[in-house]
Amino acid sequence: MSVLKISSVSKYFPGGTKAVDSFSLDVADGELVCLLGPSGSGKSTLLRMVGGFEDPSSGLITIDGEDITHLPPERRPTGMVFQSHALWTHMNVFDNLAFGLKLRRTGKSEIREKVEAVLDLVGLAGYGERKTHQLSGGQQQRVALARSLVLEPKILLLDEPFASLDQHLRERLREEVRDIQQRLKITTLFVTHGQDEALSMADRIVVMRDGRTEQIDRPDVVYRNPQTPFVAGFIGTMNLIDGEVAHGRFHRAGLSLDLPISDGPAILAMRPEALDLSLADQGQAVVHRVTDYGTHGLVDLDLPEAIRVKAMVDHPDRFSTGQSVNLAPRAVAAFRDGRQVFRS
Amino acid sequence: MRREPRPKRSQYSMTEHTAATVSVAGTRRGRKYAGLFLVAIPVFLVAWMVIWPILTAIPRSLMQVGTDGSTSFSFANYQFFFSDRYSLNNLTVTLWTTMVCAALLLVICLPLALYLRFTSNRIAAFVQSLAIFPMFVPSIILSYAFIRVLGPNGTVDLLLNGVGLPRIRSPYLTPWGPVIGLVWDNIPLTVLILVSGLGAVSNATIEAARDVGARRLAILWHIILPRITNSILVAISFGVLGIFSSFTLPYVLGPAAPEMMGPFMQRTFRDLQNPPMAITQAVITFAFCIVFGLFYIRSVAKNRTP
Repeated sequence: MSVLKISSVSKYFPGGTKAVDSFSLDVADGELVCLLGPSGSGKSTLLRMVGGFEDPSSGLITIDGEDITHLPPERRPTGMVFQSHALWTHMNVFDNLAFGLKLRRTGKSEIREKVEAVLDLVGLAGYGERKTHQLSGGQQQRVALARSLVLEPKILLLDEPFASLDQHLRERLREEVRDIQQRLKITTLFVTHGQDEALSMADRIVVMRDGRTEQIDRPDVVYRNPQTPFVAGFIGTMNLIDGEVAHGRFHRAGLSLDLPISDGPAILAMRPEALDLSLADQGQAVVHRVTDYGTHGLVDLDLPEAIRVKAMVDHPDRFSTGQSVNLAPRAVAAFRDGRQVFRS
Repeated sequence: MRREPRPKRSQYSMTEHTAATVSVAGTRRGRKYAGLFLVAIPVFLVAWMVIWPILTAIPRSLMQVGTDGSTSFSFANYQFFFSDRYSLNNLTVTLWTTMVCAALLLVICLPLALYLRFTSNRIAAFVQSLAIFPMFVPSIILSYAFIRVLGPNGTVDLLLNGVGLPRIRSPYLTPWGPVIGLVWDNIPLTVLILVSGLGAVSNATIEAARDVGARRLAILWHIILPRITNSILVAISFGVLGIFSSFTLPYVLGPAAPEMMGPFMQRTFRDLQNPPMAITQAVITFAFCIVFGLFYIRSVAKNRTP
């Protein structure tokens, strides 16, 4: 059982820049947790602190109850996969994987056995003698993963491992990595700024912003029930409209919707897929652009006061630029003072 | 039967197309000649200043001039050089100085380059300035500074005398004089080449090694050194080439005998007025240097192949 516990960890860089601010997280045994956030949100710094490459300014990091906060990377039971693969190009694939085992003074036959097993696991059986430059980007990333897995770490750390790969390969590799992680039941912390990766792979997602946690939840909850306007806007596409609530109704840009919250300013949030459109002579919005994605269409709509929203439609051919339409949201959420105050 | 006139538009487009093709071909040819012209200048200079003197020196060193002025093919100059104790001593001291300097340069510059590559603070910036500084000091000034500091009655002697300690045995006019001067003189280039080589070792590869359990020595031995072998070879080749044929520092700081090949050649040419022998010494020096030159060329070629 390998449990990672991060308690009130902060990191200040010289000059006073606060990269991570009092961050806490418990990762259960065998769980895959994604740290998701925009650039500069502190997710990579946090991962590097768990890996031992950055020293926390304050706080505590434990693995299975053992304090590893200030241990150097070489003494931690973690394995990290880097964004740039970081393979040792002067060694072949086998030597890349065997290096850590040799340092642990593992016997030659055991090294061969372990390396071949892990190469088989990542689908690179028979690639041991290849030079790393003879491999494709995807294969190099598999070698990097295998190099970490061969040492059987308690915690696997993945730092945007697919960032340098093309979309198709990225989708394939994330399925493979998820399969391997579930097969080995290895506790994993995964950093990404790609919401698709986080939504498709994670048991839980930690949405980070400015070194702080915005929300920690299951992917479906983060998507359907965002707790802050930042999460609402960052995960998936969301129409966010600043407006005013008076007598239980939200008013802005020609929209007037029931919103049973107290009077005052509020942000209305509507997913494009929860927005029905109907053609009307004097509608609330004008179609700006229609994009056909094959499986569905996305209609950009201009509301008064220069506000633009998106709606997802099944039949994009029914709409064209300049048409007047009415909007009927099936589900909305409302935010005030940075927190969710209503969800239908 | 009346022939249909060809559509004019098609004629124009054909002409335009042909003109465009001719123009593209012309531009390519122009670029090719411009490239060849740019390459031709350094190639011509190397051929004129290096290749030609070598090609003429080799036969001249194999030429024996008789008392009647007649010339004949002979290995006499080489036979004399390799049987003359003084000449061999000079070659030996040159080789010794070169090897000692190369070893010292590696021992001094590698830790310096590692420090500069992996540290980024004010002290590192200061150390870098100090390491590069000798590059801007002419050899003759360096020699003068050396004599004033390490020579007899120099600064070190005065300081030792001030605290009642005996004088040092000055390296001035001993084989160690040129060694100290040449090492100091070659530190900047060696450090720059090594730091440049270390630039290819990314932080991520070092971190990946630490992640699998490697400590400092293991990282240096298994990760860093194999990645900068070429840079080390290039730095040492450059150093050796410069040191082997150096003149000013061995001439000013070194002993009168044995002397390094640079001063030896100059003295043979000027004082002994024996140009054929000086040319023979030059050819022998070149033969030693070309070995290290080939090391350099091999490293460059290796770097260009994936």
